[in-house]
Amino acid sequence: MAGMHALHKIIANRTRPSLAKVSPGEFVEIEPDVFGVIVGVNASDVKRLAADLEELGIDRIPLRDRIYAVADHASPAPTVAIAGAQKAFREFFKAHGIRTFDGGAGVSHLVLCEEGLVRPGMLGIAIDSHAPTMGAIGMYACSLGGGRLTLYAIGRYVIEVPKVTLVRVTGTLPPGVAGRDASLYVNGKLGQRGAYNHAVEFAGSFIESLSMDMRFTFTNMGTEMGAVASYIQPDRTTLEWVRQRTSEPFTVFETDADYVYDTVHEVDVSGIGPQIAVPHAPDDVRPVDEVAGRKVDQAYIGSCASGRLEDMAETARVLKGRKVHPDVRLIVTPGSREVLKAATELGYIQVMHEANAIVTSANCGACPGLHGGILGPGDVAITSITRNFEGRMGPGGEIYLASPATVAASAIAGCITNPLAA
Amino acid sequence: MKLTGKVWKFPQHDISTGLIRRQMYNHLPPQEQGKHCMEALDPSFASKVAPGDFIVAGTNFGCGSSTPAHYSIAALGIPAIIAESFGALFFSNCAGGALWPVACPGILDLVETGDTLEIDTDTLVVRNVGSARSLQGRALPEIYRGMILAGGEKPYLRERLRREAAG
Repeated sequence: MAGMHALHKIIANRTRPSLAKVSPGEFVEIEPDVFGVIVGVNASDVKRLAADLEELGIDRIPLRDRIYAVADHASPAPTVAIAGAQKAFREFFKAHGIRTFDGGAGVSHLVLCEEGLVRPGMLGIAIDSHAPTMGAIGMYACSLGGGRLTLYAIGRYVIEVPKVTLVRVTGTLPPGVAGRDASLYVNGKLGQRGAYNHAVEFAGSFIESLSMDMRFTFTNMGTEMGAVASYIQPDRTTLEWVRQRTSEPFTVFETDADYVYDTVHEVDVSGIGPQIAVPHAPDDVRPVDEVAGRKVDQAYIGSCASGRLEDMAETARVLKGRKVHPDVRLIVTPGSREVLKAATELGYIQVMHEANAIVTSANCGACPGLHGGILGPGDVAITSITRNFEGRMGPGGEIYLASPATVAASAIAGCITNPLAA
Repeated sequence: MKLTGKVWKFPQHDISTGLIRRQMYNHLPPQEQGKHCMEALDPSFASKVAPGDFIVAGTNFGCGSSTPAHYSIAALGIPAIIAESFGALFFSNCAGGALWPVACPGILDLVETGDTLEIDTDTLVVRNVGSARSLQGRALPEIYRGMILAGGEKPYLRERLRREAAG
């Protein structure tokens, strides 16, 4: 009998009733270790959720001790309607004893990892399509699709056990080229459906060499390959990072030696230069030089793809002693309060202020087009966000995706610029 | 059960949930979101479509954000979407919202906008009524099928809780 992948072992461990083995293509019911929810933007949504639970006779939410709510989208509230919705959500969470992280804490899946609320070997679900980011710590993390009411009411969720695509990344980057460049390059190679409905595991010497910050970038961008979950097998880097954050026990699951991956991709990143994804697809990736000189109106650094401390360090390195071009607004939104505090202590935020960047509180910011830098029709933006789908940051806007260094260099020049040439 | 309706075809691949219903309308009550359904791709869609009509689409329909873009489709009385394939989050969102998401490879070659399509929800065979050509849609997992037949996640759950309480 063929062996099991670590992800399949994690899923099997949480199946209810409990199954010893799960196989790709099966739909199984699981009880998650953690359920991450958002302080939402739609008032009728939470009112209906509350009414539905009442109608079903659910007074106590079974998972209430492991549900965490984060106000990350559109927070602090940009409109009266959203303020009303967030108030209704906060009241709902309070009434049910659900812990809430309010505006400024950061993006939900960053916060859950940083607070040690998710750990290797766990199964987590979060209401956010980039929840698979958490797979960088060696857990099964997926986004919630349909099934929210069931999760609240009885603590169960249905998962289609995914096949696993292995992406083995090797090589070393030239100086000044960042992990995000390599991540964009891999997305370009695999395409938007490169791991469609699969889980994607990132491995290989390049991945092993990465810090946790850049590993999160890779697992984050698994979503843009169509993956339902991303994974990196925990190693010393992972365990050190996790143990700094929690003393709670956890289990590291290993993939069996005789496990057969559904698909294997080998990507060598040696010698690549700065990369950029052009409108309107995250897999339309080219060397930055191909579009250098394109005028930009807004530059944006942040999001769950590139809003971590290493990204702030890169931004400050490029901005130091320079000014943002007068025709450009550069907005920096750190991914979490931990990142913002550290970037402040290390002087990065001061460098940003000196350069005339707009530094915001930590949250999803402008990435989902809800506040904090919405694009107007015809605006061209260079950003470090997750995806550049048409209209994502505002109808009629054009979005380029690049590393924080490329975004910062472009903000200074007023046009798309290779940071190595700047 | 057989559903029959007129086809509105969006042949593009990778139509994201943000194009199905722009994120800026996420805060609206579900019924009002219908007015903005597919407006990024066809601004007059909501005024042309009639209850019972179908959306036909390409590969990876509903990719991207997990935002409940299916509200806007359900609000227009569209009972089913037939696509070459779906984004996973949107697919399960549809089932919870009692919309039939029928993955049907080859559908783009079977029908054009304006054609009449028939879906047998028991077999998921999809038939172009005019040409009499048909295709086999992919089977739905039982739990999603149960949710759609029950009328969505809540009625499904009510029935399940009743059954489990009865032991």
